Amino acid sequence: MTTEAVTSAEAEFRETTSDADAAASAVAARPIAADREIVLAVDSVSLSFGGVKAIRNVSFDIRKGEVRAIIGPNGAGKTSMLNVINGFYHPQIGTITYHGKTRKQMRPYLAASQGIARTFQNVALFKGMSALDNIMSGRALKMKRGLLWQMLRFGPALREEIRHREVVEQIIGFLEIEHIRKTPVGRLPYGLQKRVELGRALAMEPELLLLDEPMAGMNLEEKEDMSRFVIDVNDHFGTTIALIEHDMGVVMDLSDRVVVLDHGELIADGTPSEVQANQSVIDAYLGVAH
Amino acid sequence: MEILFNIFVQPFIEMFTAPDLLIQVLWEGFVSGTLYALIALGFVLIFKASGVFNFAQGIMVVFGALSLVGLYSLGVPAYVALALCILIMFLLAATVERFVMRPLVNQEPIILFMATIGLTFFLIGFGEFVFGGEPKLMITEELGLPTGSYDIEAFGGLIILQQIDISAALIAGAMVAALAVFFNKTRIGRALRAVADDHQAAMSVGITLQQIWVIVWFAAGIVALATGIMWGARSDVSFALQIIALKALPVLILGGLTSIPGAIVGGLIIGLSEKMLEFYWGPMLGGSIESWVPYFVALIFLWFMPQGLFGERIIERV
Repeated sequence: MTTEAVTSAEAEFRETTSDADAAASAVAARPIAADREIVLAVDSVSLSFGGVKAIRNVSFDIRKGEVRAIIGPNGAGKTSMLNVINGFYHPQIGTITYHGKTRKQMRPYLAASQGIARTFQNVALFKGMSALDNIMSGRALKMKRGLLWQMLRFGPALREEIRHREVVEQIIGFLEIEHIRKTPVGRLPYGLQKRVELGRALAMEPELLLLDEPMAGMNLEEKEDMSRFVIDVNDHFGTTIALIEHDMGVVMDLSDRVVVLDHGELIADGTPSEVQANQSVIDAYLGVAH
Repeated sequence: MEILFNIFVQPFIEMFTAPDLLIQVLWEGFVSGTLYALIALGFVLIFKASGVFNFAQGIMVVFGALSLVGLYSLGVPAYVALALCILIMFLLAATVERFVMRPLVNQEPIILFMATIGLTFFLIGFGEFVFGGEPKLMITEELGLPTGSYDIEAFGGLIILQQIDISAALIAGAMVAALAVFFNKTRIGRALRAVADDHQAAMSVGITLQQIWVIVWFAAGIVALATGIMWGARSDVSFALQIIALKALPVLILGGLTSIPGAIVGGLIIGLSEKMLEFYWGPMLGGSIESWVPYFVALIFLWFMPQGLFGERIIERV
């Protein structure tokens, strides 16, 4: 790549991102998160698969009530980072502090039971089940009646089922998916599947919501809907959100602070405008002229 | 000409002229069918939750029945022995989860299938070591199951309904219905289907695979125990009983491996067609066609419905 080409691409990158940022600040100045309580801290985490180093010595924190974006080029280790946070991957080095407890590794059950919910890059729904049942499965940990009551399915177990169904109906209303309640999710278009997946995560009433590319593969209208849901979840329920996204406009719009990863390393951490002005971020995205 | 007459005319004349025999045959088919459905259900439960085709289901039937008879012969009262057997099935489920499923998590289905074959031979050896290899009598009366029969005079003949058959059909029906509701309408049932669909997503909502596996293996164990008691009461309790588990294969081909209603309907179709074909068309082929005709019926179904009657259609958006 010639120097000239880089400069013009760079200008374009700055232009698109600053546009979006201006739009966001015009709508609502998002509160500064820097002095809030830390919900989750990742400290010096390194993760490798055999010889491949997916994450190298990464540290950052997520503060209460913020929308924290994790961005970076393909293969930067973003999804691996989410997998470390909710315990699918166990880092070789480093610690994760959540709920005031520092651990070498999370476990998926522990993460879920302590309020970490997530969605997946390639929708991971229960394809044979209806949208309603998918979202209900997000209540798995909230329902307490034991095996015996479940077998009988009357009295307390039935009341419990009904109470949780009410919560789920509210989520269905919130996500505007009433009409597909009973449809097996395998038959739904991609955009709606993503919405059901968000619903399942919301049904867990999470404290920290991890969204892995919630807008990937969506058209403009679907992206706008999804952005609205993310903002509403953050505003109304005060849910802390960490999201991975490729669409720079969306990232600049939604997030309070941004972590930038490249080849498994953290190369920038700051507000959207700080990050977009950072030379190493621009280099990582556009390549450096040699 | 005579062959065509024997195939297409003669059997129907017999059915029409002796309706009492027809009803008797249908009844026998129905009872076998409910028991086949129960066995098939054991396979479906484990397959749905873990993608494992559990070859050991047949030996679990024998193992459950042998434990019951064995405990009783040691002087344990029948109902206490039954409760202990339920506990044994639970321990078996927990052991299988800990020592077979857990170390092999994320392996190919064929590897897990091989592991269940290993489990089968282990259980055969272990069962023979503990209980001995000779056939035993099921403790039918001691368990309070009726042994008499109702003789009904109707349609110009005598229809004999064994009371044990009636209770077998009732118990199998009740268990199938209870399991169907349990797995479709409750939290644990949803968790089970969730695990079947997507391990990672299931884990992300806080479902623990280990717990679900213990539950399905336990449920399959209870189903096996019930089958063992019922079938043991109709013949005797021996290792040959595991052969009837193979009858579940055509049922599964018919019903689809993942469908509870499929197991029920498939079981009834196999049970009824086997007895009807044996009684009316069997003599023409020299009799005893019961042992192979279900596989033949299943093969014909496979030609037209490769996913089974109720098997999940594979929906793939491209």
